[in-house]
Amino acid sequence: MSIADTLTELETRAAALLDDAEDAEALETARVEFLGRKGALAGISKEMGRLTPEERAQVGRLLNGVKQNLEARYETRKAGFERAALDARLAGEWLDLTLPAPGPRPGRLHPLTQIMRELEDLFTSLGFAVVDGPEVETEWYNFDALNIPPAHPARDAQDTFWMEDGHLLRTHTSPVQVRAMERFGAPLRIIAPGRVFRNEELDASHEHTFYQLEGMMVDRHVSVGHMLYFMKSLLAAIFGREVTVRLRPGFFPFVEPGFELDIQCLLCGGKGCPVCKQSGWVELLPCGLVHPNVLRAGGLDPEEWNGFAFGLGLTRLVMMRYGIDDIRHLAAGDLRFLRQF
Amino acid sequence: MKFSYEWLRELVPGLDVPPAELTARITMKTAECEGVESFAPWLERVCAARVIEVTPIEGSHNVVARIDAGPEFGERQVVCGAPNCRTGLVTAYVPAGLSLGSRQIRRALVAGHDSDGMLASGAELGINRDAEGVLELPQDTAPGTAVAAPDWVIEVDNKSLTHRPDLWGHHGMAREVAAFSGLPLKDPVDLTLVPAAGHEWTVEIEDFAAAPRYSALVFENVTVGPSPAWMQARLEALDLNPISNIVDVTNLVMAELAQPMHAFDLDKLHGKKIIVRHAKEGESFAALNGESYTLAPRHIVIADESGAIALGGVIGGAGSAISAGTTRIVLESANFDAATIRKTSSELKLRTDASMRFEKAQDPVNTTRALARAVELFQDVSPGIRLVGGLIDAWKPAPAPAPIELPLDWLDQKLGLAVPAERVRAILESLEFRVEEARPGVFAVHVPSWRATKDITIKDDLLEEVGRVIGYAEVPLEAPLQPVRRPWVNRERLYHHEVREMTAAQGFTEVSNYSFVSEEMARRFGFAPDDHLRVANPISIEQGLMRLSLLPGMHRCVTENAKRFDEFRLFEIGSEIHKRAGALPDEIPHFMAALYRKQGDGSAALLELKRLADCLLPGAAARPAEARGYEHPARSAEVVWRGETLGRLYELHPALLEAGRAAVLDLDLRKAFEMGPEPKRYTPLRRFPGSSFDLSVVAGLRVLAGDLIASIRAATGECCDAVEYLYSYRGQPLAEDRQSLSFRITVSAADHTFSNEELTAIRNGVMDALRAQGFDLRA
Repeated sequence: MSIADTLTELETRAAALLDDAEDAEALETARVEFLGRKGALAGISKEMGRLTPEERAQVGRLLNGVKQNLEARYETRKAGFERAALDARLAGEWLDLTLPAPGPRPGRLHPLTQIMRELEDLFTSLGFAVVDGPEVETEWYNFDALNIPPAHPARDAQDTFWMEDGHLLRTHTSPVQVRAMERFGAPLRIIAPGRVFRNEELDASHEHTFYQLEGMMVDRHVSVGHMLYFMKSLLAAIFGREVTVRLRPGFFPFVEPGFELDIQCLLCGGKGCPVCKQSGWVELLPCGLVHPNVLRAGGLDPEEWNGFAFGLGLTRLVMMRYGIDDIRHLAAGDLRFLRQF
Repeated sequence: MKFSYEWLRELVPGLDVPPAELTARITMKTAECEGVESFAPWLERVCAARVIEVTPIEGSHNVVARIDAGPEFGERQVVCGAPNCRTGLVTAYVPAGLSLGSRQIRRALVAGHDSDGMLASGAELGINRDAEGVLELPQDTAPGTAVAAPDWVIEVDNKSLTHRPDLWGHHGMAREVAAFSGLPLKDPVDLTLVPAAGHEWTVEIEDFAAAPRYSALVFENVTVGPSPAWMQARLEALDLNPISNIVDVTNLVMAELAQPMHAFDLDKLHGKKIIVRHAKEGESFAALNGESYTLAPRHIVIADESGAIALGGVIGGAGSAISAGTTRIVLESANFDAATIRKTSSELKLRTDASMRFEKAQDPVNTTRALARAVELFQDVSPGIRLVGGLIDAWKPAPAPAPIELPLDWLDQKLGLAVPAERVRAILESLEFRVEEARPGVFAVHVPSWRATKDITIKDDLLEEVGRVIGYAEVPLEAPLQPVRRPWVNRERLYHHEVREMTAAQGFTEVSNYSFVSEEMARRFGFAPDDHLRVANPISIEQGLMRLSLLPGMHRCVTENAKRFDEFRLFEIGSEIHKRAGALPDEIPHFMAALYRKQGDGSAALLELKRLADCLLPGAAARPAEARGYEHPARSAEVVWRGETLGRLYELHPALLEAGRAAVLDLDLRKAFEMGPEPKRYTPLRRFPGSSFDLSVVAGLRVLAGDLIASIRAATGECCDAVEYLYSYRGQPLAEDRQSLSFRITVSAADHTFSNEELTAIRNGVMDALRAQGFDLRA
């Protein structure tokens, strides 16, 4: 039998063994037998020395062809076995992804914080500074500077917590108006969100501690028309839709003229429903042009400067937005409540 | 304050707007109305009837009454249980089919007799509070005529009237209605009814600042009895209790003109002089309401020779009250300083219809107007009454305030609407301001006396008058033109928000506790109550002190939630309030986080909070500290950041919890904010890889890993990149009082990679240093 015939026969046998190997081990045995350093092909190439140069070239080409063929078969089968082994291993790693995931989840920010942040961002985008004021205030900032002198009946409307040292808990965020004018002068655009206090018995709709947002713009030539425009834009941003507003007279000593601003009921669109007590309007916030005495208290000349101010009840806004029926939830710290926001 | 719709219509002839619409207009133009309610609508059908004959019913207190109920109803038979039901009585008949509120009147058999309708008491009709018997009407009342008229009652929010003394009477509100409706206003007062000639009685005012005016009239031949049904109904509609004709007139005039009045029984007074003076210290005063008050000089009394007969501007005295036998009266119509009355009334906790009005600064000019109106009404309710002499009056009129200059361009600019001069004038004049042209484009506006006491003093006040009558719906919206300017940035507030977000991201939920703590809460945590700022007038002991720590509130949240949850994380940002002598307290923003677990020994929670501290203050260290009373005695540390102590990390003393463990982190946010973030600086990346080796140090049980890390770091020197804690071990073969702590030390050089020899040298150096400090090292 010629070498060529031997090669052909060997190729057939080896191909069958490689192709039919049952597992990676049998494949490896076949590889060693034929393709290994001491394998059948190596044996044949050793015998090539006995051939004539012509034969050698011919057999050499033949040998290379067989070798490449067998190596390719080997690689294909090897990859197949490796894939199968990996598949088998991974199949064993089956995981029940319906299992609950361990570890803490992000906590929630208090709903009041959330609404404050939202409004702070909104006002900042409108060029307003966000200013803080103290919870414990002087009588001067809380009342006198806001044109509420001692014995003014308006003091009755705001049941005040007094401190033993003669200070008080601010009854509104309005004292920040005067503090801000003193600090920043004019022109001025500020909001002051924060905690305020009224000496009231606690029930589902009354709290001794709640949150307001004071707003103030001071400039030359600020008009009622400016205020209306601003309020309408602001409320459209807060409620995420166009709102219809109206002003009616309201008495607050620190503004003149003073207004109650109503918005057309968002629930019934003004037709009348239980929420707006059939009136079509919902009272939303007090506002007005800053009283000259308040500007003076803030160190500004009312002939040169004027402005508007408003007070937004944040607690009420939160309750309206989420339909919260009991104000006491807000300070109760109950996770069943807080986790809803 | 309640307003009668029909009364307003009488004062504004031609007003033809339904009650609900009028209420809405008042809200839009003048003051906030809380609602409008129908008053005694049944009065439309209730009529006078004469009792023709009364037949007793055996075995019953009821009687059968045959009545003449006038042309419409004719003769009827009713069963009546009232003790005053008698032949000849003229009373009120309620026909069957009518309902008195929720009570339906039906034709029925009562005590075995047919009763076609009923005879009604004043209380049943809702026109007074007399339920003793059926209503007694004057004998000359024709059967079939109406007893009184139904009405509508408009309720206005008192808070929206605090600046308007004139709106505490119907005439003032009628003026508003007339002005915004473009209708004339009727003045119910005829001043000619008050003769100028005085009287033998005189008045003396001690302090005109406290009591600017005292006017009075004397009447004789007075008959005291019930006032007419229409007057009682009107008072009742306004929640003013009908009492007697004389008292009812004073109340009716008050409700009409906002001028409180008081009638004294002249025969119970002493001397012939009324003295308006400050009370004497400790002076005792017996008031009409049956109470006795001890007064002080800051209170004003009306006195005669023998003593106080009224508490000025607040309430009359018991001793000189009108009674059934009164025949001569002194009728007071006075004016008092608003602040004085407000103080008196709040000090004595005595708010009356009079004090409520005087504390709004009433108009001194109004006293004689009220007297004139009373003269007229007395004649109706007490036939034969005679005025004796004329006006008794003490008054030092304040000079009329200078007119207010109202530049029309200023008005237009501030309103944002061009209003023609003539319209401005018309509006102001409809409200009875007197308008002159000071110079072109500027009005000089004279304020009427009833608006001049406090309400209107500057041009801004006039702007409101014009604006509200026009209606703000006419003002066009206009965008304010503002220079582009970056607002001041409140970095501290933004920092708080960052802390909130970071903390929430770590699983903590925000709570918002009160700024108050109770003494008991403070004591429980070892805070001395006297260190706190105290609330002088708390409603409950829960609000007695201002919080010095967020802990009591947080503790409450933890214990409440522990009833429902086995594990949770909470945090709060709020102010600690530290009192300072002679200044506002120092409000220090603090951060507090709490981690509660019902199971376990609590150590993992503490380390989790330490990680939170490290997230908020990168590189923060915990330095063991002496435990405070509320802290676990062996688990308490100070939180140190860049050399500053910023707060504490501790486990809450387990005795403060019913079950489970709570770790707490408390940080001073002001200090943290003031220190600011660590400045960022770039260091070139090392080009040569670092190498690491592990060491296990054998140490005593209370030796701190943090100290060992510091020692290792110091011993390793400049080439040290990191010292990482790996684990600790106790047990064989270590002695019982020993633990082994393992660390991985990473080192590198800027210019080469350490060779094995170099690494060994470094490692040996560290080991030697540690041995020198008394530590053993394990392989």
